[in-house]
Amino acid sequence: MTTAAAVREPDTPEKLAAALADASRGRRSTIVSGAGTKLDWGRASGHVDCIIKTSRLNRIVAHRHGDLTATIQSGAALTKVNRQLAVRGQWLPIDTAFDAATIGGIVATNDAGPLRHRFGTPRDLLIGVTLALTDGRIIKAGGHVVKNVAGYDLGRLMSGSFGALAAIVDATFKLLPVPAASQTVVAQFADAASLARAVAHLSDTDLEPIAFDVHVIVPRGEYWLLVRFATSPAATHAQVASARALLDPSTRSAGSGQAPPSGVVSDADEDKLWRDHRQDIWKSDAAVVRVSWLPASLAQVLSRLEAIAKDTGASIELAARAGVGAGFVRIDGDDRVQTTAIEQLRARGDIVNHVVVLRAASGVKQQIDPWGRNPQLDPLYRSLKQTFDPEGILNAGRGPI
Amino acid sequence: MNDAAFLGSRVNDTLVSEFRDICGDQAVLNDPVQLLAYECDGLPALRQTPALVVLPGSADEVQRVVRICAREGIPFVARGHGTGLSGGALPVAGGVVISLARMNRVVAIDLPNRQVTVEPGVTNLEITRLVAPHGYYYAPDPSSQQVCSIGGNVAENSGGAHCLKYGFTVHHVLAVDLVLPNGDLVQIGSTAPDAPGPDLLSLIIGSEGTLGIVTKITVRILRKPQTVQTLLAAYDSIREAGAAVSDIISAGIVPAAVEMMDALAIRASEAAVHPNFPPADTILIVELDGPAPEVHELFATVEQICRRAGAATVEIAADADQRLRIWKGRKAAFAAMGRVSPNYYVQDGVVPRTKLPDVLEKIRELSQRCGLPIGNVFHAGDGNLHPLICYDEKIPGQATLAEEVAGEILGYCVEFGGSITGEHGVGADKKQFMAQMFSDDDLDMMQRVRDAFDPQRLCNPGKVLPTPRLCGEVPGPYRQHPVEAAGLADRF
Repeated sequence: MTTAAAVREPDTPEKLAAALADASRGRRSTIVSGAGTKLDWGRASGHVDCIIKTSRLNRIVAHRHGDLTATIQSGAALTKVNRQLAVRGQWLPIDTAFDAATIGGIVATNDAGPLRHRFGTPRDLLIGVTLALTDGRIIKAGGHVVKNVAGYDLGRLMSGSFGALAAIVDATFKLLPVPAASQTVVAQFADAASLARAVAHLSDTDLEPIAFDVHVIVPRGEYWLLVRFATSPAATHAQVASARALLDPSTRSAGSGQAPPSGVVSDADEDKLWRDHRQDIWKSDAAVVRVSWLPASLAQVLSRLEAIAKDTGASIELAARAGVGAGFVRIDGDDRVQTTAIEQLRARGDIVNHVVVLRAASGVKQQIDPWGRNPQLDPLYRSLKQTFDPEGILNAGRGPI
Repeated sequence: MNDAAFLGSRVNDTLVSEFRDICGDQAVLNDPVQLLAYECDGLPALRQTPALVVLPGSADEVQRVVRICAREGIPFVARGHGTGLSGGALPVAGGVVISLARMNRVVAIDLPNRQVTVEPGVTNLEITRLVAPHGYYYAPDPSSQQVCSIGGNVAENSGGAHCLKYGFTVHHVLAVDLVLPNGDLVQIGSTAPDAPGPDLLSLIIGSEGTLGIVTKITVRILRKPQTVQTLLAAYDSIREAGAAVSDIISAGIVPAAVEMMDALAIRASEAAVHPNFPPADTILIVELDGPAPEVHELFATVEQICRRAGAATVEIAADADQRLRIWKGRKAAFAAMGRVSPNYYVQDGVVPRTKLPDVLEKIRELSQRCGLPIGNVFHAGDGNLHPLICYDEKIPGQATLAEEVAGEILGYCVEFGGSITGEHGVGADKKQFMAQMFSDDDLDMMQRVRDAFDPQRLCNPGKVLPTPRLCGEVPGPYRQHPVEAAGLADRF
């Protein structure tokens, strides 16, 4: 048993930078943490001497509503931020499964949900950052304007770094107006093939949903499609009607299986639907992996998941962005079952291109490297790590670098 | 450390034959007349003849050429089609220009996954041409899209008139093959989303050819929007036009494009391509696209807002031809300046959108003060200004004055919280302005990141980051340092 890590909660950017410099001088293994909702993602943490929490750096530094931008400190929770931005009818269109998730953590992990279909991932909305470096300096990159190509994009470089390079002090984002209306079309399908056909069918139209997701629970045989439209009221209703017509069983091609007609969900029910869809994956202690594929491969991905469930006995649930080709898979079963299922997913890199183990029992993470990244890039990543964190104090070996 | 650019050329006959063995005799140019064509890019004010130009035909050839440069310590500069406006492809004295013009093959068109993979020499518009018959297009649309290369777009993170809604090159590139400054070839990003690891792709895009040479690019293509509607509103003042833009944004509408032109730019464009623009102080072009019901509903609101803000006239493009005419007038504005002025200097700066009227007023005052007419063409939706400073190089001192005026405008952009470049890049042209926007620590970290890729400092040296300031030099618009004037030092 190691000694408990010292916890620091700096309340100014300068104190954050000083805490990092102090840790670096003392070569103390350090984790920068927001709400800690994703600290168990990736490799199991090594020894940690110091946890620097960003919880007291939680302000919206500026909401330039006329310019549709905001600068937000890293420790601010996204949900609270969006409540404040909403006062001016604006939002940061990012969704995550974790209510407490902070801006810093979301940027560092590039955590994204269904809204990425329209708005991209956090890196797509990021226009500037302030960083605290391990040498105690505070630097910035990017700026406060949405269009800006001056200098290297060190902000987006933090995206996916999991706190291994520097601590995010604040981030500046491009915002969007909150849509005037929103409705979601929900359709259930009898089998994976029908669901994949419906996805392909809708993809091939002029409809512009803001979210376009599938939710599949393999052993229960549940195949759901969720399509959210959010724009001006008349246009929202018109698109919902078009989508429903396209999904109507009577107009589907032969052999599409027996499926009930689609439904429309709005208001509080719509919020709950999407929230449950994002969070269900995380509700048990099962392994959760992040998967991605070429969007046209959805049918193959679904049959692969079914085959793995059958072969390993795992219970598998997928919540994913059908138009993008990315999502989360929950794998229920003992360590051996989880390990085998993940290995089988990885074995077909031609179907499921990236498989990153976010959460899993330590036994599973000992068996397989959670990241499975491109080894070609290791020299570059090593070199960048050396540049930003020469004493190697950050991230406690959780990866990806 | 010696700046590579200070070294005399190490390109000798032995090396020339080595390059010829790799790329073929025709693809290695060292004839002084041939080299002239490569001495500048779209910024002719900066010129430098390279020692050699090589035109590799494949990624393997690029790797072998770069390896020789790395081995011999020869600086090299990648070049696409040379349309850049910041001297990003300006050769280095004694260095090699690696032109990607021959690498112009389309590698794959994957419609089901909405991706196209090309070599860097393919032009921006070529991608749209290839996929248009299937109802798709490539979104970033810089004004030079007919001739600029995708490789150059990646280097500059190019935008265009429609980036307000659709973003920049960084939002549309999925993966690149990159030859590192040591000659290694790596794939960065992935055709499928969510490749694990820090986002190197975003670092490469917009790095202006200083971190390596891109040899293959996969871009995302979009479905053509169902409906497009465009209007042109004429105003008696920039304030009114600015108010219209603010009201559109406040109404929760994100147009596909919002462009403004002032009287001088309108006059120039009329003289060149006759788009039949109304004679106004300011014109505003607003375009909405998307599903038909959405566009129709929001367009009515936009039209109302434009009228309420005081538009003298509002013209709605009735069909695709009228829309094209409006855009032709807008996109031709830069080149059209040649019709009203013997010479002009294009500046590229950004201010927060709400500050546009203030900054434009300052630019008008500056124009009156310096006596040089300044036309303004800009992406009003995102605050990206393109002042066109008119001058006559035959009048002694005017070229220098124009350059100083351009520099002063960048100062306004920074003062109002903006950027020294929105889409043309820093290149060789603006590196001395970087210190106005970034602290020494910011710039030092950028240099260290660059060194992580290119420890020998051979890859497009002298671009993006300012060389260490000469003693006694103050930050600000470029002015010749006495040491430079005496011929004792040079800037790169």
